[in-house]
Amino acid sequence: MGVMALVGTRKGLFLLRAKDDHRWRTEGPLLEGWGVYHAIVDERDGTFYVAANHTTYGPTVQRSTDGGKTWRRSRQIGLPEESGLILNATWHIEPGRPQEPRRLYLGGDPGVLFRSDDGGESWEPNRGILEHPTRDRWFAGAGGLTCHSIQLDPRDSERMYVGITSAGTFRSDDGGETWLPRNKKVAGDFLPDPYAEVGQCPHKLLLHPASPDRLWQQNHCGVYRSDDRGDSWLRLDGNGLPTGFGFPLMLDPNDPDAAFVMPEKGFEYHYSAEGRLAVYRTRDAGETWESMSNGLPQQAWAAVLREASAFDADSLYFGTQGGSFFALADGAWVEAARYLPPILSVEVTSWSA
Amino acid sequence: MVRVTVPSVLATQAEGRARFDIEAETVRDALRALPVSDLLFNELGELRQHLNVYVDGTDMRDSGGLACPLAGAHEVRIVAMVSGG
Repeated sequence: MGVMALVGTRKGLFLLRAKDDHRWRTEGPLLEGWGVYHAIVDERDGTFYVAANHTTYGPTVQRSTDGGKTWRRSRQIGLPEESGLILNATWHIEPGRPQEPRRLYLGGDPGVLFRSDDGGESWEPNRGILEHPTRDRWFAGAGGLTCHSIQLDPRDSERMYVGITSAGTFRSDDGGETWLPRNKKVAGDFLPDPYAEVGQCPHKLLLHPASPDRLWQQNHCGVYRSDDRGDSWLRLDGNGLPTGFGFPLMLDPNDPDAAFVMPEKGFEYHYSAEGRLAVYRTRDAGETWESMSNGLPQQAWAAVLREASAFDADSLYFGTQGGSFFALADGAWVEAARYLPPILSVEVTSWSA
Repeated sequence: MVRVTVPSVLATQAEGRARFDIEAETVRDALRALPVSDLLFNELGELRQHLNVYVDGTDMRDSGGLACPLAGAHEVRIVAMVSGG
């Protein structure tokens, strides 16, 4: 058994495969010319789903049931005319729970969530998000008004979360009908009231699969953890992280106290903190952080985007806007590919030859 | 009958076809008849911003836009605007 990474780039999708010898083979580009904001394999049936966007031809969802050889485009995707909104981009695809066959969720710009119940052929906008009473207090950041994080509680089919820039974190306890802002004690230093109900800017939001009441958040203004389903948040970036700003977030599926972030020099700069590319790890729920830079360049001014990292039970993975893909092997980072187009997204899945 | 040609990324999305012979009265009708029409228009029915459409070598913007009549026309060419990056 090996690993396959789906590496989405500004110019198409690359598949990188490795067995236990950590020798990676590159296939691609697939969906040539499309900006792959996110690509994922639905573990329920092996279908590839891709949030593919093109400067000229707009936002799409593409899917493949033959490992990327052929693709089908979702035919019905868009926002209702009465909303006055236009779908600017597709950002993140989240397959439904194992007991929800053919259900998928899609996050997009401008701060919208869709659900498909037919395996991605058609998508219905979520009205609770589209018509949220606080929407007039959301605004677009530099990357747009982006619904980039969709997390499903594996124990409770009614509970789910979304993270939207610059709107905040929202939780639904009724299957997506209504959404509660969950931004208490999360800073929005760019807001008139830094602790407002909404307007904060989560960059990535993850639920721990083995401890689903625990959420982690890399925010525009800090790294946070919640142990009560987002009801309150604890800021964690004062103890060893060079900055609180960054985009990627990775977890260890076997350890709810572990998390991994990649600090950047701040929102006006968007490159590696202190001119060093590094992943920072906590094993004590954010009490302390330590650098994991073995194998990474000593000097770098790299940018790693919010979808451009991934994890599994064995390793961590990320890709840079400079087109380098790194995987962690035996405690050291390996540059598994370089000179790819700018990397927008990374996901991994198991793979057998 | 008018022949509509599309650029390569669109052809890939149309199972490799780059040329389509279509009966249509207007440019809008011709574009709507393509299997990639969803990639040409947004939800409001507006042509996407970075597309050019030429009818027998004339920019459709100079001939009524999407309502440009195709009576007597031979070729509609869809061209992605020149872009950097």
